[in-house]
Amino acid sequence: MKKIFQSLKTINLALGFLSILLFLFDAFVFFRLQPKMESFEQLTRFEQPLFTIVGFGLLILLVFYLLSCLQLIRFIKQMETIKPAHVILIVASVIALLIVFADVALLSDIHKQFRHGLNQPEWLLVYPLMAYQFLVAIILLFFNFSGKWHTSSTETIARDINVFLIVQYVGAIFSLMGLTLMSLGFFFSKSWNFSIHTLISGVIFLLPYGLALTYWVITKIREKDRQWFDEKQQHDLGKSALLTLIGVTFLMIILFLFNLKNLTGVISLNWFPFYLFGVLFVFSCGNLFYSSRG
Amino acid sequence: MVVVLRLENNIRKFRFEHGEISQQDLANAVGVTRLTIHSIETGKFNPSTLLALKIAAYFNVNFEDLFFLENDDEVL
Repeated sequence: MKKIFQSLKTINLALGFLSILLFLFDAFVFFRLQPKMESFEQLTRFEQPLFTIVGFGLLILLVFYLLSCLQLIRFIKQMETIKPAHVILIVASVIALLIVFADVALLSDIHKQFRHGLNQPEWLLVYPLMAYQFLVAIILLFFNFSGKWHTSSTETIARDINVFLIVQYVGAIFSLMGLTLMSLGFFFSKSWNFSIHTLISGVIFLLPYGLALTYWVITKIREKDRQWFDEKQQHDLGKSALLTLIGVTFLMIILFLFNLKNLTGVISLNWFPFYLFGVLFVFSCGNLFYSSRG
Repeated sequence: MVVVLRLENNIRKFRFEHGEISQQDLANAVGVTRLTIHSIETGKFNPSTLLALKIAAYFNVNFEDLFFLENDDEVL
C-alpha cells in the first residue's frame, strides 16, 4: 500500500506541473479565441481543435485536484489536531475540483453560442474561475513539492478520528452552500429551473460529502478492530441526532409558514433538498461541536 | 443543599509514569480514538465502566488509583 501511495505522490507531482502548463495553454487559447469568437470570425484549422484540447486538459486538472485531496486527507489523518488552514485548503481544493464541471459547462455553452451566432457572456465567468483554480493548483503544488505533506510520523492509528472530523467539516460547509442556494429559489422563484438549480446543483453540492464519506468508510473497513464508532462518538452522535431533529423541525416549520400562501410554488420542488441540506448541516455542526466540547 | 460529585482521573500522570506514552498509544491499546482519551483526561467525558477498567488494566493499577470522585461546588 505504501508503494502505491508513493507512486501516487510522484504521479500527482507530475500532474501538478502539467496542470500549471495547461493553465498557461488555456490562457493562450482564450486570449486568442475570445476576440475572434465574440466578433463571429471564422476560426482557422489550427484554432478549431483548441477547445477540445482545453477540455482534455480539464480532465487532467480534475485528477490532480482529486489526488491532492486524497493526499491532504491522508496527511491530516496522521496529525494530532486538525488546523483551520488544513480545513480551508481541503474546502478550497474541493471547490476548485467542482469548478472543473462549471468550466466544462461554460466552455461548451460558449462554443454552442458561437456556432449559432449568439453572444457569449460566459467569457466573463471563465477568467475568474480559472484564476481561482490556478491559485489553488499553485498552492497544492507548492505543498506537494516542498514535502510538507509527507508526514514522518510512524505512529499507528488503530481508530481514526481525523477523517471523521474532516467528513463533518465538509458536510457543514457544503450543506451550508446547498442551503444558501436552495434559499435563493424562494427569492428568484420566476427564473428557478428545477433540473439545473435544484437537481444538478444539489448533486454537485452533495458530491464532496459523498466522496469524503466514502473515504471514511474505506478507512473504517481497513481498521483491524472494525467498530464504526467508539463510546464517546456514540454519545456525540446521539446528541447531534437530537439537535438535528429539533433544529430541522424548526427550520421546516419556518419554511412551511413562510410559503403558506404559495405551497404550489418553488417550495414544492425545493422542500426535499432544503430538508436534506438542513439535516446534513445541523448534524455535521452538532458532531463538530460535541467532538470539541466532550 | 446538593453536593455535586465529579469524576476525576490520574490518566495524564500514569501516562507520564509509563514512559510518557502518547494519548494515541493509549487510545490504540484500549480501542478508542485519541479524542476520547483527551476528553476523559480533561474531564469532559465520563468513560463507561468497561473503558475505565480497560485503561486501569493497561496501566496495571487499581480502578480507584486511576479514577476518583471529587466534590464540585456546592449547589443550593
